[in-house]
Amino acid sequence: MKIVAVTACPTGIAHTYMAAARLEKIAKNFGHEIKVETQGAMGIENKLTACDIRQAQIAIFAIDIEIEGRERFNGVKVMQVPLQEALKNPEDIFHKIQH
Amino acid sequence: MTLRPNSALQFVFICPLSSGLHARPASHFAEVANQFAAECTLTNLRNGLVGNGKSVLGIIAADIRHSDQCSLFLSGPDAEAAHTALRRFVEDTLATCDVPLADTSVSSRSNSIPRSLQAANVSCISGIPVGHGIAQGKVVVLRTMALSSTVNSAVAGDREQELERIKEAVSAVRRRIGERLKYATTPIGAAVLQADLAMASDVLLLEKLTEQVLGGKSAAQAVIETGEFFTDLLGHSENDHIRQRSIDIEEICTQLLEEVCGASPAPTVELREPSVLVAETIGPQQLLELNRRCLQGLVLEHSGVTSHGAILARSLGIPTLAGVRNARLVLTAGREVVVDATRGFVVPIVAPVVQRFYHRERKTLERRKNARYRSAEQSARTADGKTVEIAANASSGEELGLAFANGADGVGLFRTEMIFLGREKAPSEEEQFAIYSEAARLAAGKPVIFRTFDIGGDKKVPYLALPHEENPFLGCRGARVYADHRDLLQSQLRAILRASAEGTVQIMAPMITSVEEIVQFKAAIALAKQHLAQNGVQFQSDIKTGIMVEVPSVAFILDQLCAEVDFFSIGTNDLSQYFFAADRGNSKLAALFSVRHPGFLQFLSQIVRKIHKHQRWVGMCGEMAADRRNLPLLIGLGLDEISVPASEVNHIKQAVSQFQSAACIRLLDRAVACGTTIDVDNLVATQQLEPEPLISEDLVLLESTSQSKEEVIQEMVDAFYISNRTQDRQLLEEALWAREAMYSTGLGYGFATPHCKTGAISADSISVLRLKDPVHWGSVDGEQVKMVVLLALRDSEVANTHMQVFSSLARKLINEDFRQHLLGVRNANEVTTYLSEQLGFPLGVTNEAPTAANST
Repeated sequence: MKIVAVTACPTGIAHTYMAAARLEKIAKNFGHEIKVETQGAMGIENKLTACDIRQAQIAIFAIDIEIEGRERFNGVKVMQVPLQEALKNPEDIFHKIQH
Repeated sequence: MTLRPNSALQFVFICPLSSGLHARPASHFAEVANQFAAECTLTNLRNGLVGNGKSVLGIIAADIRHSDQCSLFLSGPDAEAAHTALRRFVEDTLATCDVPLADTSVSSRSNSIPRSLQAANVSCISGIPVGHGIAQGKVVVLRTMALSSTVNSAVAGDREQELERIKEAVSAVRRRIGERLKYATTPIGAAVLQADLAMASDVLLLEKLTEQVLGGKSAAQAVIETGEFFTDLLGHSENDHIRQRSIDIEEICTQLLEEVCGASPAPTVELREPSVLVAETIGPQQLLELNRRCLQGLVLEHSGVTSHGAILARSLGIPTLAGVRNARLVLTAGREVVVDATRGFVVPIVAPVVQRFYHRERKTLERRKNARYRSAEQSARTADGKTVEIAANASSGEELGLAFANGADGVGLFRTEMIFLGREKAPSEEEQFAIYSEAARLAAGKPVIFRTFDIGGDKKVPYLALPHEENPFLGCRGARVYADHRDLLQSQLRAILRASAEGTVQIMAPMITSVEEIVQFKAAIALAKQHLAQNGVQFQSDIKTGIMVEVPSVAFILDQLCAEVDFFSIGTNDLSQYFFAADRGNSKLAALFSVRHPGFLQFLSQIVRKIHKHQRWVGMCGEMAADRRNLPLLIGLGLDEISVPASEVNHIKQAVSQFQSAACIRLLDRAVACGTTIDVDNLVATQQLEPEPLISEDLVLLESTSQSKEEVIQEMVDAFYISNRTQDRQLLEEALWAREAMYSTGLGYGFATPHCKTGAISADSISVLRLKDPVHWGSVDGEQVKMVVLLALRDSEVANTHMQVFSSLARKLINEDFRQHLLGVRNANEVTTYLSEQLGFPLGVTNEAPTAANST
């Protein structure tokens, strides 16, 4: 499955990146292809392009704050969870996606 | 200040004192006024209040604040002499006669109770901190002094007798204060006592007392009513400073009463063990009577932080809290308490957590002190290893003490004229010798450059009788007055030479413009040496002689001058004013006046190069050196020494390590080639600083015995404080807790990553702590935390390069191998090395012993 994700935490110093790393790792275990955009203290990195989004079957938002460019995901199935979920039970997120 | 030409016996002045004309400066004012018979009326033109200029109470009741316009009216037989003396006092001395209080900033932050104490529900009683420090001792309660309750029924005797009793009481109180004054140990203590002395002999006070007795009151009643009259008068002032004087007058009256009645209405207390004194208020006399060895701390109910008692307590370094409501009720005698004048509360030692907190606090303060001491001991070096000597400018033993405590490499300029100013007669050779030799001893072998008196220009003294000049800065000043005052110069040179036997002393002449002048100056030194040698007095015979470079003409005869002198010191204040032909006191010309003018930089560069060509030494001692923005330019100039105000030495020394000397040389070359001062300013502002290392070994704590999340965070914040990366522990701690409040930073696997972005730190930093016993952190997996990695990012507008490192560190923490490696490290060095390799950032390597204490 092709997945896109966005992570964003309140300070953008640590958890944004931890969650991104975690999602990338678990997605791989599940055999998915994932691209994670981070919106942290360094701004937007690894930005999702219109093409990335169009090709994805689902978008995961692991976020604690409103993100920039949400309208880019119009027409895509979005699953939004608190960022902590991506650290606590990332497997759960992927289980849910498959159903 | 302006003079009204139509009235010779009146003048108007602006109050230059930031705290207003309060008791201490007022006592100096009244002292001058009282030397004359003339009546002296002081009017505050802002509020129309009129006071007797001979009375401290009268002056302070006029409520004169900073920049208030006042007029002084003098009438009587010697009004003219009084006018001259008071004008001179107002112009020359008033601005400088207020002893600055060490730290009058008062913070009463509501939330300064440490988290670990909050978490343990320990009740801390808040107050306003006066000074800093922490004290522990048993509570001793001082009962209130009460003027009126003591002697209500005293019967008035014969008026003459009662008047006599008043007079005797006043002299006795004066004697008492005078006695204490002899043993005053600090300048502030002496100033406070002097003000008390002035108040005790105040003409208005005496007038009021006499008036009461003549009206039929007993001496005791007269004192009580006079006391009430003045406390009421001062107590209604809008100026907090003046309102608090009512406490002082109350104490004076209490003492008068003591003398009049022969009994002591002022309560005293004997301290026998480490004690914390709890009182409604305390007067300086009372405070000085206490056993200082036992008096650890002071808790006052009254909120006056500038009352003389509070000022004195601060100057004696007694941790004190003011404004502690109901302190005498809440704090029971005999109870062990801690007075935390740093955070602003007093806490009874009830729980072990309080004991633990202060045990750790004492260790932290000790470590910080040691770290600062070590960093002061190290010489300043640029990032590429070039040593830069940082010396201090000084004019007194106190400044010298501060300079060397801050790590000064020497005294680049000892302004001896400060000893000559503000007095009627020149200081004697002996008086000067005492000061110079003390300075030489304090320097303990480090060089002290004494500049011979530089009087004239803006600095005048009556005994030199310098003529009135149209352009005093272009007139008789510095070395130019020496020919007419040979004896004065001789006595100073002898005093300096004699001091040279006790340390490394050098002599420097001010305002030299030609070779002839230095030849004459050297002849004067030779004469002084000859005199001393004939009398068998010890001195350093090869004493080094130098000159100030402050007149542009000198720059063009350096070849000749290098043959005459051993060293040079560039005085940028005068050099720039003569270079630009612009008066530095004229604010309209400020734009013309920048020392970062490319032409001036070129001029400096030529001077330094020329002097170095002759292998002579050149330093800089003007204001240009004190401004940190100029530091890269000064390093680029290649000066042998930079001499700055004593209080700046530490900062400048630390700042040196942020520059590469090679880059500074290039910077200077580019600055000299700039078209305008603004271009130079921009160039300097964008100069790349060497970043502080992200982590240093003193931020790695591998053996932590903290018992809670609160203690862990506090311990890490303390490490920032010890390594001088934060000056405000509370702000940093609260920033970390603000993040924890969103959700716990415990990421599972026994790891936590508290983090924040804050202005409380001086450098982006990583700190690592490993616990002996895991603590609860509210982690996502519910497990306890064993390892804590703290990330602190500086709150700045500049795009942050370190964020890249932080984000990869955050990502790596998801990686089990990375975590395992961290858990298994054996020492701090392994942690810093591992992180710098894994994350690709440099470690600081400029000092042989890497201490983060070098960060600013």
